[in-house]
Amino acid sequence: MRRTADAVVIGGGVTGASVAYNLLKLGMRDVVLCEKATFCNGSTGRCGAGVREQWGSKGNCLLAKASIDMFEQLADELNYPHDLEFKQKGYLMLAHTEKEWAQFQKNVQLQNSLGIKSRLCTPEEAREIVPALNTEGMLGATFNGRDGHANPFHVTRAYLTAAERMGADINYFTEVTGIEVSGGKVKAVVTKKGVIETPIVINAAGPWAKPVAEMVGVKLPLFTQRHQILVTEPVGWLLDPMVMSFSIGIYCQQTPHGSLIMGIGDPHEPKGYDIGHSWEFLRDMSRIITRLLPALKDVRVVRQWSGLYTVTPDAHPILGGVPGIDGYLQAVGFSGHGFMLAPAVGQIIAEMALGKVTFLDVRNLDVGRFERGEYNVEPSVV
Amino acid sequence: METGRSSCKTRIEDHPILDFPARKEVTFTWEGQELRGYEGEPIAAALHAAGIKVLHTSHKSKRPRGFFCAIGNCSSCLVVVNGVPNVRACTEKLREGMRVQRQEGTGPAPRSRE
Repeated sequence: MRRTADAVVIGGGVTGASVAYNLLKLGMRDVVLCEKATFCNGSTGRCGAGVREQWGSKGNCLLAKASIDMFEQLADELNYPHDLEFKQKGYLMLAHTEKEWAQFQKNVQLQNSLGIKSRLCTPEEAREIVPALNTEGMLGATFNGRDGHANPFHVTRAYLTAAERMGADINYFTEVTGIEVSGGKVKAVVTKKGVIETPIVINAAGPWAKPVAEMVGVKLPLFTQRHQILVTEPVGWLLDPMVMSFSIGIYCQQTPHGSLIMGIGDPHEPKGYDIGHSWEFLRDMSRIITRLLPALKDVRVVRQWSGLYTVTPDAHPILGGVPGIDGYLQAVGFSGHGFMLAPAVGQIIAEMALGKVTFLDVRNLDVGRFERGEYNVEPSVV
Repeated sequence: METGRSSCKTRIEDHPILDFPARKEVTFTWEGQELRGYEGEPIAAALHAAGIKVLHTSHKSKRPRGFFCAIGNCSSCLVVVNGVPNVRACTEKLREGMRVQRQEGTGPAPRSRE
């Protein structure tokens, strides 16, 4: 491990990997990444693998749209020899309540105004997109064909191998235990394997972002919460898009491999770091999904697991620095959609680190927005 | 692909310590062809006795797959039975009139029973 660096990235998930790659791409020479376990060990490797532009706020829409633009070129750009399993077969968002349907109409209007080609569908049109769908009780849906799926492990690995080729020093099992700040400037990162002198440190620690921020005295309004998920055996083609419902709180997608990944948000889930799994999830998930997609009744579950959402008060990430600590940047609090935003976020954070103007204006996503009271809650999350 | 058939006899009729009580013979089909086997034996046993060893093809490369773990664990012997994919030939019992087909990759999509 190097003892000096131009920047140290904390976190070997997709965000840290994307930040490290983009720092090098924009001309930084000496980038060190520290990951306390191995890559994708936190939230990235446990996520639902969806990517979508259909959001309910301008900030999330623009970050997601820019990221999908980047996903489309990613395998070539990173010169990655394997398939990223990036597919754009859309997201179908189901509305079962009047409130939800009204929100979807607003969302589509906002999305269209930002160049996102989502559209409203009747239940009949939704069935044309997903013939296996039970549309009983459904008021309508929205669909956007540019949304889809990518493999989080391959995407992260692609960023990391590209960064390594460009000279990054990637360190696994290297837990950061402190950040030295003096005179309002970042001086060094302390790890269990030694100290790295650096003027810049980037907190991309996912569920552990809060304790990392505390190392520089920053209190982040974050909490972590378990979200459970399962995968079925691979089966023949059943559905193209991710099927998602916010009022029911579920999502389900068939991966290119044929297996179905699905999850459910439990409003009663306590905050914390538990990543165990429960039979109640298996029961509830099975009940709900077989009502929406009755063809899944005979399909076997292969595995269930869980991961952590790191949630902000408005379900938007916290991006950028904090006043008074020169050289400290953070890309945290993705609230369950960090994977799909990672390409754009990596570039933005790298631009900030190098003192450039960011290609998207994310000044309103700073941590100060919560104190100022200048934030609006994203309505469209599971 | 080769047919996966061999003419070698695979049924053990005499064994030093195991007895094979007489069982009822049943008729089933493999890829539309009528075959006979014993009721209640694993589908894979009846197919092997008929010299049929390629039961499934792999997802990506379409390579031949057959009887392997014999305990319903490995997904190597998946076949389509009466239109239902992902049936483990090594643990599913043979019944009169079963329509058994080789499963190509993931096989047909699951269908709603409703």
